[in-house]
Amino acid sequence: MGEIILDVQNQRTAFATGRGLLQAVEGVSFTLERGKTLGVVGESGSGKSVLSRSIMRLLPGTAITGPGSRVLLNGKDLTGMTEHELRRLRGPEVAIVFQDPMTSLNPVLTIGKQIAEVLVFHMGMSKRAARAKSIELLRAVGLPQPDVRVDQYPHQLSGGMRQRVAIAIAIACEPDLLIADEPTTALDVTVQAEILDLLGRMVRERNMAMILITHDMGVVAGRCDDVAVMYAGRIVEKAPVRELFGNTRMPYTAALLASIPRVTDPPHRKLDAIEGRPPDLINPPPGCPFAPRCRFASAECQQQVPALEGQGAHQYACIKPLNTGVAA
Amino acid sequence: MADISQESGTKSYAATPDDKAAKHAEAIAHFKKRNKFGLYFWIPMVWLLFVLFCAVFAPLFGLPPADEIDWMYIKEGPNEVHWLGTDSLGRDMLSRIIYGGRVSLTVGFAAPFIGVGLGLILGMIAGYYRGWADEIIGIAIDTWLAIPGLVILLLFSVVFGGSLFMVCFSLGLLFIPTAARITRAATLNYAGREFVLAAKALGASDFRILTKEVFPNIIWPLIAFILIDIPIAIVIEGSLSFLGLSVKAPTPSWGGIIAEGREVLSTSPHIAMYPTLVMFLTVLSFNLVGDAIRRRLADVREGAI
Repeated sequence: MGEIILDVQNQRTAFATGRGLLQAVEGVSFTLERGKTLGVVGESGSGKSVLSRSIMRLLPGTAITGPGSRVLLNGKDLTGMTEHELRRLRGPEVAIVFQDPMTSLNPVLTIGKQIAEVLVFHMGMSKRAARAKSIELLRAVGLPQPDVRVDQYPHQLSGGMRQRVAIAIAIACEPDLLIADEPTTALDVTVQAEILDLLGRMVRERNMAMILITHDMGVVAGRCDDVAVMYAGRIVEKAPVRELFGNTRMPYTAALLASIPRVTDPPHRKLDAIEGRPPDLINPPPGCPFAPRCRFASAECQQQVPALEGQGAHQYACIKPLNTGVAA
Repeated sequence: MADISQESGTKSYAATPDDKAAKHAEAIAHFKKRNKFGLYFWIPMVWLLFVLFCAVFAPLFGLPPADEIDWMYIKEGPNEVHWLGTDSLGRDMLSRIIYGGRVSLTVGFAAPFIGVGLGLILGMIAGYYRGWADEIIGIAIDTWLAIPGLVILLLFSVVFGGSLFMVCFSLGLLFIPTAARITRAATLNYAGREFVLAAKALGASDFRILTKEVFPNIIWPLIAFILIDIPIAIVIEGSLSFLGLSVKAPTPSWGGIIAEGREVLSTSPHIAMYPTLVMFLTVLSFNLVGDAIRRRLADVREGAI
């Protein structure tokens, strides 16, 4: 067992809306060790991004955190911290890379200034030292001509380069935990692999822990140690990546995997889409949230929400799991 | 329908690289031409610099003091001793106009900056924090707008007297509501952007976010607003002097000299005419220069996004 960086216990996040309480994250628990990458997969609205913001305590004012929720970062409980205490952690201990580098960089500041600002604020560097370090960071993230780029504005960079800059800013203060919230969704397919490789390299070189949030099963496959599949605000299956792909238990995970088009498929083959829509999170139906869309669901499934359980590292929330060898 | 057949011969629609380069160069040239500061910018700019120079270095010209009475020349037209003549008390008109320019220009610059400065703070607080802060500031601004500006100026003049600072300050107060609204709208636009969230995720405080992330983005509309307000402030100061609500006599200001000249308009029209002409040219110049700069700013902003 490595050093545990992040320990999330029963995280529950709800939003007060006009129609009632929207339960965006419902009882999520997991731990993450140094040097490991956890992939969080799920479709839109499954609570992935709210989970990441819950960990960072970056939620808007309408959000309500459940009373039993705890987030321990390096053993420190973020739940009860004041805004002032949190500010000291954000950057040096936890950082986030957002989805769209078009919007996550300030358009009117040079990228050098944006990196240097963090260094001056958290590390107490002088402006001159911060600039030198910025160039070094830009070189580390593989930005060509870092000494020229450092004085350029975001609009002078391509999308992939901007995401490299966003990564440079995130790792500037050597955080222990890096959250990458769909870091490649807004990018060109050809650039996606480069950015994911870069993130992986940064995690290895700097010995961080990373949460890689994505809706793309293909992204997590080669680059994560563990994968958590989220549905309707819950983790419905969690396993080491090989185990998850090789021995899928939860029908939802299986459906997600089946919906990926394969290169070997004949042309014009219809995609295996998952029928129906995700449940209403304000008035969720009783029972397993996936039951209404599940091919294997029976009356039992509508009774109560199955708990996340299983032997060892492979856990799933399903009372009729696949691949048990007994029934199917 | 446009005729795009090849028969017209001279023009092929498959653009050659040379064609493309030429088109590109043409577009750039057009852009530059549109952006170039032409005579409409430079002539007024020269005038403004001249007026500014005179106002700043007034004491170095060896002019008679603006309130010195020359009994030999009362209400005289331009002559070799007093280039622009004298007013009804025998004071040198050139000196009065130059020293009056100091007052008018000070008010013209200071009032918009005071107004925009205070409006900026209120607008950023309202736009960033929303909620009750936004509501209170919104109600305060609406209330402020409901009081006629003249009443506010009259009140300040009566209570605090007609010092130059109070004139600038009270006039500046009139610019607050619009400045606050512009700032609030711009702040709203930027406060929800992801880079603000990203800054928060890196541990930035609200003050830091407002000054380092939001402010650089909203500065341009405010600069454009100040450029519009400078000539307006000069004109309002002139009107106030006319009503006797600006700086007290014998301190000259352009509006004040015009007001004094009004009484003898039929016999000595030059007393009202010269300051009017100077004020007219200055306000017109500020407007032309401001327009040119704002157009340029707009282009720069378009280019950046």
